[in-house]
Amino acid sequence: MKGLHIFGLSHAYGDNQVLRDVGLMVPAGELVCLLGPSGCGKSTLLRLAAGLEPLQHGTIVINDTEVANADLFVPPEHRRIGLMFQDYALFPHLSVIDNVTFGLTAMGSKEAHNRAMDMLDQVGMHTHIDKHPHMLSGGQQQRVALARALAPKPELLLLDEPFSGLDTSMRARIREQTLDVLKRSGVATLMVTHDPEEAMFMADRIKVMGDEGRILQAGRPHDIFYHPKHEFVARLFGMMNRLEGVVEKGQINTPFGPINARHIEDGQQVSVLVRPEGIHLTDNSIPGVNVEVLSTHLLGHDSLMRVRRVDDHDGLEFHVRVHNEFDPALIYPINAHVEPEYTFIFPRDGGRVFDQQDRRDMEASDE
Amino acid sequence: MTTTTLSSAPVHPNVRNRFAWFNFWTMGALAIGGVVILPIVTVIYMAFTPGDDIWAHLLSTVMPNYVTTTLTLMVGVGLGTMIIGVGTAWLVSMCRFPGKTVFVWALLLPLAMPAYVIAYVYTDILEYSGPLQVLLREAFGWTTRRDYWFPEIRSTGGAITMMTMVLYPYVYILSRAAFLEQSVGVLEASRMLGRGPWQSFFSVALPLARPAIVVGISLVLMETLNDFGTVDFFAVSTITLGIYDVWLNMNNVAGAAQLAVVVLVFVMLLIFAERFARRKQKFHNAGGTYKVLPGYKLSGWRRNLAVVVCALPVSFGFVLPGFVLVMNSVTYFDAALSAEFYRYALNSVMLSSLAAVLAIIIGVFLAYAVRLRGERFLKVLVRFCSLGYAIPGAVLAVGVLVSLGGFDNALDGFMRQTFGLSTGLLFSGTIAAVTFGYLVRFLALSFGAIEASLEKVTPNMDGAARSLGHGPWQTLMRVHMPLIRTSILTAAILVFVDCMKELPLTVILRPFDFHTLATFVHQYASDEQFGEASLAALAIVGFGIIPVISLSYAMTRSRPGLTRHGGNVQKAAQ
Repeated sequence: MKGLHIFGLSHAYGDNQVLRDVGLMVPAGELVCLLGPSGCGKSTLLRLAAGLEPLQHGTIVINDTEVANADLFVPPEHRRIGLMFQDYALFPHLSVIDNVTFGLTAMGSKEAHNRAMDMLDQVGMHTHIDKHPHMLSGGQQQRVALARALAPKPELLLLDEPFSGLDTSMRARIREQTLDVLKRSGVATLMVTHDPEEAMFMADRIKVMGDEGRILQAGRPHDIFYHPKHEFVARLFGMMNRLEGVVEKGQINTPFGPINARHIEDGQQVSVLVRPEGIHLTDNSIPGVNVEVLSTHLLGHDSLMRVRRVDDHDGLEFHVRVHNEFDPALIYPINAHVEPEYTFIFPRDGGRVFDQQDRRDMEASDE
Repeated sequence: MTTTTLSSAPVHPNVRNRFAWFNFWTMGALAIGGVVILPIVTVIYMAFTPGDDIWAHLLSTVMPNYVTTTLTLMVGVGLGTMIIGVGTAWLVSMCRFPGKTVFVWALLLPLAMPAYVIAYVYTDILEYSGPLQVLLREAFGWTTRRDYWFPEIRSTGGAITMMTMVLYPYVYILSRAAFLEQSVGVLEASRMLGRGPWQSFFSVALPLARPAIVVGISLVLMETLNDFGTVDFFAVSTITLGIYDVWLNMNNVAGAAQLAVVVLVFVMLLIFAERFARRKQKFHNAGGTYKVLPGYKLSGWRRNLAVVVCALPVSFGFVLPGFVLVMNSVTYFDAALSAEFYRYALNSVMLSSLAAVLAIIIGVFLAYAVRLRGERFLKVLVRFCSLGYAIPGAVLAVGVLVSLGGFDNALDGFMRQTFGLSTGLLFSGTIAAVTFGYLVRFLALSFGAIEASLEKVTPNMDGAARSLGHGPWQTLMRVHMPLIRTSILTAAILVFVDCMKELPLTVILRPFDFHTLATFVHQYASDEQFGEASLAALAIVGFGIIPVISLSYAMTRSRPGLTRHGGNVQKAAQ
């Protein structure tokens, strides 16, 4: 198979185990995102794949050829991989064109120049070829770094937080451009990021990595968002309303009424997570529990509110996110109900939840 | 998962067994490091080798005298440089008075003047037959030595004065950097709490600068221990001079090595003090804002006093001796040329250039090997290689002589046994031995500068170059070398100039009848013909000014807040 294949990768710095038995696969033409908090070992995985870090345990295969295992180590210059760093690492003493031709050692200089010009054209930097990196903006440097990494036509491209150095106004545009260039080149890409939104936008598939250096869940962006298998994964996408309880008769009681939990054994301690956008506020024509609004904040596209059941003054407060502005004075009384799609139930002992969707996921990611 | 693909995966053609402990860079660094620390190891080994044990003899005869003299010298020079260095640093950092901006860099100038050169100059001026005493005798009608009292320059006190005058800039540089780094807020707080400028100095600024001052004085004392020219000329019997005496005049190798070990004990204490202080320095960098320093405006007698205090060290440490050298050089120009000045100058330049180039190549190799491999024992070895700078030239010379002699004999024996021909002493007493000595002593300079500069290059540069298909060598040549170019040049200049000034190693290791400018000056001065050697001394000082200029340039450019750690200044000061 073309692309990157990693088996049973474990890595530790001293006593600090940063990767535990990690496996993943990036087929040619596909973009896989490794999503996790900073310091969770995802950058280490990238450095191991690149050959910048000596491998401790596991096997790395690129294009059906083993490049690292317990006994062998192919130095980075022979792996035919492109690598783009968070700080871009452009060579400050070389011009843009010299940076891009740097990796084109196998070609004649004329050919290398043409190839570099072609790449710079693709990223829209062909008019800046004689500038030095310090004369470029962050976004321009990012595009040169991308051109430089892709110029030698690598089998595999590794991206380490490629957009974190850009300011927000620029990020969206550069992200789209980068995705275009990558899809056109058809290279297998492994990207590391701590930004869930970025991962959702870029990835064909996402691997979520937890603090302990384990991959917690793998799947398409849709699966990660709508079918999280761990509380950790569910919490990636911002603020959550969290409840605790015990499953009784296949359901769990919440302030918003009972929720179906038939896939979990009776008597199991669980936590229930509800996304703020999963609580719907309506007038009393639609059934629900009666709530009062404690505060409301307009955030732009949507508003964030705190609500509480009217009949329970010492009860829990919930965060609710609604589109546009919400004026609680306009509707009264207010009814609230939760949408099952935005509600997740996890056993409290950290175990996994199995349901139909999960089985399908596992089959898909095993390939 | 599919383990079948795993076992069937072909092995990449460029595989390296990563458990192979043979690695070009590691082995190369080990080999070079091994050779460089050989002289140091030899000295230690010899001193503890049982044999004709002369410890008892040394202890009962010369040792007490050596140790007392050395300690006196160190205490004197330490106190002297501390008072002058800290005092002038405080004045130019915290006060405003006429000429301040000039003094900031002019106070560095004596650094260009080797202690032995200034010793020859002042002896020329101050001795009985010198112009000053002649003038005094004429003015007051004295006729003999007994008619008046005049301080004897060729004495321990004289040596302390000479060394203090040229070594105080070490303390000056480091304490000035420390004062500049201190947050103004701390001083202002002290003033607000009711302490005057003087009290604030003693209760806040000085304690905060203490680690930097200790580092400066440690460096001064290492130089003091290293000095050979001054103590030889003044016949002040320090241990360093003792090594030379026991070695050459008593022809006692083991004795010299045993004395060398005593010096090493002193050196270790100094290194310890320096390292300890440097560690403390980190905590003492009181953070906060770095505004422009207040600058107490001095007026009246205070202003005049400040000018005099700063002018004195510059005048006596540089201007006056420089003037005398220039005058002498003009007067004795033809005599200097007929004494083969050019040949010795050429010798000096060639030897120093050779040593500088080698020190750079090896420095780059070691620094890059550490960067590439990062093995712990490699780092330790490289630290040991940097010890040479702290070890007096005379001690290293003994180590170089003995280890090279051993190597030569072994090689000779081997060649005779296998090929039936004698190589004799191949390296001993050759220019190669001198160059090797320079290398061992000054490698720390080039390595330190290169390592510091390499550290500023992000490891991602390596990663980028490697993933773009360049091996370690190509990466070094195409990425790192262009990036650290300036530091390499600086390091080369530092090594070159230090080699030009170097005396004890050269005196002991040089081939028969071979002279550098330094040994030439030393010999002529010892023969009371300093006039003829003035041009050579002037040339040494002239070369010595180059790094001082770049240092003063760096100092005037470094504004408070810009160099938070004063790193460059400290490195340059070593």
